Amino acid sequence: MNIYTKKGNEIMKQESEVISILKNVRQHLMGGVSYMIPVVVTGGILYAIATMLSMNSVTTSGSVEASNIFIDVLSQIGGVGLGMMVPVLSAFIAMSIADRPGIAPGLICGQLAVNVGSGFIGGVIAGLLCGIVAQYLKRVPLPKSMQSLKSIMIVPIFTSLIVGTITICIVGSPCAWLLDALTAWLTSMSGASAILVGAITGAMIGSDLGGPINKVAYSTGVAVVGTTVLAGENCAFMGPISLAICVPPLALGIETFILKKKFTQEEKDAGVGAIAMGVCGISEGAISYTTASPILIPINMIACAAGGALAGALGTYSNAGWGGLVVLPVTSGLTYLLSIVVGIAVHAVLVMFLKKDAVEEVVDNDEDADVDLDIEF
Amino acid sequence: MKFLAVTACPSGVAHTYMAAEALAKACKEKGIECKVETQGSIGIENEITAEDVASADCIILTKDMPIKNEERFANIPKVRIAISDAVKKAPAIVNKVEKAMLAKK
Repeated sequence: MNIYTKKGNEIMKQESEVISILKNVRQHLMGGVSYMIPVVVTGGILYAIATMLSMNSVTTSGSVEASNIFIDVLSQIGGVGLGMMVPVLSAFIAMSIADRPGIAPGLICGQLAVNVGSGFIGGVIAGLLCGIVAQYLKRVPLPKSMQSLKSIMIVPIFTSLIVGTITICIVGSPCAWLLDALTAWLTSMSGASAILVGAITGAMIGSDLGGPINKVAYSTGVAVVGTTVLAGENCAFMGPISLAICVPPLALGIETFILKKKFTQEEKDAGVGAIAMGVCGISEGAISYTTASPILIPINMIACAAGGALAGALGTYSNAGWGGLVVLPVTSGLTYLLSIVVGIAVHAVLVMFLKKDAVEEVVDNDEDADVDLDIEF
Repeated sequence: MKFLAVTACPSGVAHTYMAAEALAKACKEKGIECKVETQGSIGIENEITAEDVASADCIILTKDMPIKNEERFANIPKVRIAISDAVKKAPAIVNKVEKAMLAKK
């Protein structure tokens, strides 16, 4: 065989590898998510407990003020856990593709994605890139004497250099620019009709449940809260945001009890947890339901927008840089609660009409049922 | 006939074990020897050994998650299925795989 065909084959093989990674992208993402879940749950719950215990000392900066050592310890542990979410995600996406050499660059580039403000989405991109780059670098032939260094030094270092640079220089700035532009747009809008602002910020909170769009609305709210409260005024801009934060998880949690047909047994079991997360102001409590049935994305947005619009109309305010029922003491109280209830009611009605009934996973004993098998001999 | 299977799902707490149980039950009903390894969030349980691989006709793998140590099964026929099918339609899967293996023989 001559050298050209051999080279040609090599290239063909490499091309098919990228394609196979991209084909299995869902598998790799799920692999990463499965490692991330315990991190988010541990960090989120500890942090939520700290928020709840320090109810009156939720500061305008959105962090938990340490009113005693116990709360301080809890919020530190929980905060570190939540902060590791994105790096862990990208590290294990990379590991799913490239095995152990993917972990170090995945962790590093995931944290870089957070640092440059590209958040969750940047982390997913970084994880995938690290996996692909590391997988290729593993193929580079090296003299035997250096072989053992390859997996612990050479591949991780060069992958981190390449993907880290991409994350900082390419992925980071558009994402950060996008976030900045959105922030500017949001603040300039606050002069417009309060109802419209409430509906838009509400919808943003409901859109990706703790993702970048949600965080733009939330961090703008926090910035506005800081200045208005310092000026001795109540913050109407934050009202719709604070309440929209808890509408999706609270609504879904309550619906698992009243609309039993719409949820699987597993989802019903998680209902109480969703309510608890809603009370504590953690929109992420609705994520597992929403990934299972995407129709919930528009439903979450509409319900949050409805609650937000009503809040705007009623002049509902919130003086805490956080959301949920835990901040009730520092909001307008009754109108705040009313807007939440309306948001939940809208959500429930939409779910009743638009969400398909859950299919219980009953074993089908039909031996000739149609199944997809993929057999490789 | 002897089947092996490995099940794994994203959260690694529910479907992994439901699928394992359904496959084991479906095989038992057909009189097929079967060993199912679970790769849940707790780690690998009921691990498939080299002897198991040597004596088996094929391995059934769920395709929703990357399977750990898949290279163990390089030399036997592999069947890839969606984990939700394994939970819901295990008898049909076992039936089809058995037919395919018999046809090959």
